[in-house]
Amino acid sequence: MTTQMTSPPAVAGPVRKARRAESSYVARVGRPGFAWALPATLFFAVFAIVPLIMVAVLSFMSWNGLGSPEFAGLDNWRRVLDDPVMIKSIWLTLLLTALGVAVQTPLSIVLGVWAAGPQRNRAVLSAIYFIPLLLSSTAVSVLWRALLDPNFGIPAQVTWLFGDGNLFGEQSTAIGVLAFVSTWQFTPFHTLIYQGAARAIPPVLYQAAEIDGAGRYRQFFHITLPQLRTSVITSMIIMIVGGLTTFETVLILTQGGPGTDTTISAYYMYQKAFKGFDFGAGAAIALVLVIAATVVSLIVVRVSGYDKMRSTMEGVS
Amino acid sequence: MKTRARWPRLLACGAALALTVSLSACGSGSGGGGGGDDGKIHILVYGDASNKVEKQIVATFNKTSKVKAVLDTIPGADYQQKLQTIINTPQAPDVFFNWGGGSIKPFVKADLLMPLDDFIKDDPGLKDNFLPSVLSSAVLDGKSYGVPMRGTQPVLLFHNKKVLADAGVRPPKTWDELLAAVKTLKSKGVTPIALGGGDQWPTLMWFEYVYDRVAGPELFRKAVNGDKDAWASADSKKALGMIRDLVEAGAFGTNYDSVKYTNGASPALVARGKAAFELMGSWYYAQQQQDAKDFAEKGLGYTAFPTVPGGKGDPSDIVGNTNNFYSVLKKTKHPEAVEKFLKLMYSDEFVKAQLAIGNLPTTTNTPKFLDTSASPAYARFQYDLVKKAPSFQLSWDQAYPPSANAPIRQAVQQFFNGQLDTDGFIKAMQALPTE
Amino acid sequence: MRRRPHYLAGAGSLVWLFLVGLPLYVMLAATLRTHADYAGNGPLAFPKSFTLDHYTGAFDSGFGRYFLNTIVVTVCVVGLVLLLVPPLAYAIVRSTSRITSQIFRLFLLGLAIPAQAVIVPMFYLISKAGLYDNLLGVILPTAAFCLPMSALILSGSMRDISRELFEAMAMDGATPRRMFFQLVLPLSRGGLATIVVFSALQAWNGFLFPLVLTQSDSTKVITLGLYNFQTSHSIDVPGLLGAVVLSMVPVLLVYLFARRALVRGLMGVGGK
Repeated sequence: MTTQMTSPPAVAGPVRKARRAESSYVARVGRPGFAWALPATLFFAVFAIVPLIMVAVLSFMSWNGLGSPEFAGLDNWRRVLDDPVMIKSIWLTLLLTALGVAVQTPLSIVLGVWAAGPQRNRAVLSAIYFIPLLLSSTAVSVLWRALLDPNFGIPAQVTWLFGDGNLFGEQSTAIGVLAFVSTWQFTPFHTLIYQGAARAIPPVLYQAAEIDGAGRYRQFFHITLPQLRTSVITSMIIMIVGGLTTFETVLILTQGGPGTDTTISAYYMYQKAFKGFDFGAGAAIALVLVIAATVVSLIVVRVSGYDKMRSTMEGVS
Repeated sequence: MKTRARWPRLLACGAALALTVSLSACGSGSGGGGGGDDGKIHILVYGDASNKVEKQIVATFNKTSKVKAVLDTIPGADYQQKLQTIINTPQAPDVFFNWGGGSIKPFVKADLLMPLDDFIKDDPGLKDNFLPSVLSSAVLDGKSYGVPMRGTQPVLLFHNKKVLADAGVRPPKTWDELLAAVKTLKSKGVTPIALGGGDQWPTLMWFEYVYDRVAGPELFRKAVNGDKDAWASADSKKALGMIRDLVEAGAFGTNYDSVKYTNGASPALVARGKAAFELMGSWYYAQQQQDAKDFAEKGLGYTAFPTVPGGKGDPSDIVGNTNNFYSVLKKTKHPEAVEKFLKLMYSDEFVKAQLAIGNLPTTTNTPKFLDTSASPAYARFQYDLVKKAPSFQLSWDQAYPPSANAPIRQAVQQFFNGQLDTDGFIKAMQALPTE
Repeated sequence: MRRRPHYLAGAGSLVWLFLVGLPLYVMLAATLRTHADYAGNGPLAFPKSFTLDHYTGAFDSGFGRYFLNTIVVTVCVVGLVLLLVPPLAYAIVRSTSRITSQIFRLFLLGLAIPAQAVIVPMFYLISKAGLYDNLLGVILPTAAFCLPMSALILSGSMRDISRELFEAMAMDGATPRRMFFQLVLPLSRGGLATIVVFSALQAWNGFLFPLVLTQSDSTKVITLGLYNFQTSHSIDVPGLLGAVVLSMVPVLLVYLFARRALVRGLMGVGGK
């Protein structure tokens, strides 16, 4: 046992310190080395990290894609950070992301838990619910634009709710539509995650709760939700990152309008880089996005203890 | 635990399959694409229904030419993006589709394009066989960089004949008649003018015409060449005031920013008599034919844009897409073959094929074949309009370099919905990049 | 365990069914009506005409070839992801090495790289590698951009494997490799199923990489083919939606056939 004590305790790293002395031995053997992660890491480095580094370099250059890039110092960064449209786009991005998480999380938990039930009709319905995920963003946007047309779509039938139907002419309603359409499109994916996780909850927990006389809602809040913790974090990270980087829906539904009222950062980057061919500024905006999304997901991981979490099953079976 | 062993095996199978398939894909796909030096000329075009003619012309060319041509298409919306990515690389094409004006200005500045003046000297037909007002869109710094290769698309004022007749309104010849028509139509409960504001570029067409009628083509020509004062001139303010009057008179209704042209919503408003007018490019007719055949043949009227009494612009000036062009890369290895290919753009075969799919070529031999077009009267109306026009202003978003595209569209939308006032709009236009 | 039906949940699920179903109905209806009917009577009206032109039209514009290419890309991407991600996630969850936790952070960073941002350098890398206008040149970056999300999902699912099971195997003297194949893979079926779905959809619906990295007709994928229905000034809505329905059918079929396996997989640990 003394040799065990001299080895450095695994404090950093994704491993939680073993609590009980007798399990500390078994907790340490049979661990895979980092070599297991190497193939994926190398592959990823070549096709994602190397280009990202090139983008980082590009953010200090002035380049329109034609001649050779010229060093521009902090010029792009100064322009981007002084640009009122850029500042506004950051707020819009955060707002849309927050809206997405706030709406989609409860919805997909409820739908996922519901779909996890054994009834046959649920299987049929969840197959239908799954379909929006199969559509390309272009198709989704074209469909909703047709459905929300003020003269021929739903608003024309439901005038008491929509008034003149000018949903895309006002900032608040345009943002509402964007949040709604991405909810429509991506909820199935998160539902899938929760459905799987809810299935994995041991029935014995519910049986025990039922014996204790806990009602359905208490069971949901005291057993189901805590058991879904890992999935909530996974799904939230996906939503946040997805929210920060969405742009296809904006491209086809609103084109950032009215004016610049729905110009979110990812769309703004696309506009700068690929409509305006100002690749330097585009690269700077892209980096802001990458950094923001990384910081947010690191915070989520840290706060939730996700990277140290071993198993929600512990002490259960 | 029966399933336990299945997963690893499945995994192994999947991986093996993936490798096999990717290797075979590798084999079949190699060697394709890109200009490079494969002894062929690569022609890059915007991918859509018009490709039919381009394919046919390439086939005709290949029948007689030793150097073969290959047609590559890029899906529409991202054409310019892809072009900009590859044009300065070995994958660049020899000849490519463009809109003239600002769309090729950056390439000319980067010295990538070949001036066609030598070709023209060789074969004056490459100039003389095309209408001059169209050719000028692809002339930069006095040199010619493009040969027209599809159809011209002037912007016209379309109307629903029945709606106008029911309201006792005649197609307006002047701006005041238009304003009066708006008032009458509104009182009858019809949206006077359909506008696909959600697409932003249909809104821009109103600016292009009103500016041209009020100030003549000179104001915009100065502005696009970098004279920022042009936007602050009295004429500019007058034009903006007229547009403001029209919007405030309720000419476009209240929800135009939620309506799109591209998904067929605004043409449907006109076809179904819910709106009276729509300002749109000449492709509108084909759109209505597809969506509402009866209406297109019997109920759809079209006129030139109303005149503005006292304005400096010639009443027969037009705006729109002058034509699409083929431009040639300087580094092409087969200039003679390219020249031979470009000559086909005024051949009888080309003109007939374009007319057959509803495009209106701008060659001088076009009138001979106008009767073979699907709608001869409409084709002739346009052709005469283009031929007589002293000035054919290329759409603003095409005339400016691509980087100005988004700011222009934002500004016109914001001016319409009141987020920008006259001074705000002028400032936004002055801030546009001109190179 | 029998439970009485839950009326509130039932009602809620019906509302959601309506929200999901209405657009799908509109889509299907639009593809089966003539242009004049769609444009004249609006998307919501009951179809008054019937035509299959929008489907045959899609095939006439070369969809067969595009289909094949898309299938090749999708199968290869899924294969690559299945090859690379399970060992990676295993290391992230079980390895005590400090390097692994750095690697995990690297992938978290990778989550946030928008493909738009790196497309220009990617173009240079791929053409330098001689893979321009080659399906392999689309497969490799697409797979790479599936990795972060797949790693996150799969490691999340692997974390749910009870520690006692590892310890029991360790007591028996199992090597990491044996634990991986006999314990981790079978018990993370749920995660594996999810990443297969995720990466298959990414590959199937991928647009940007094929757009920039391919050129000729022989390497075109379906998403690029959808642009045949769009010109610079209008969208052929019924035609486009017809092509979209066609492109959806194979995925939906795979989903329906694989649903049993998928759902069983999704049950993960609960299925043991």
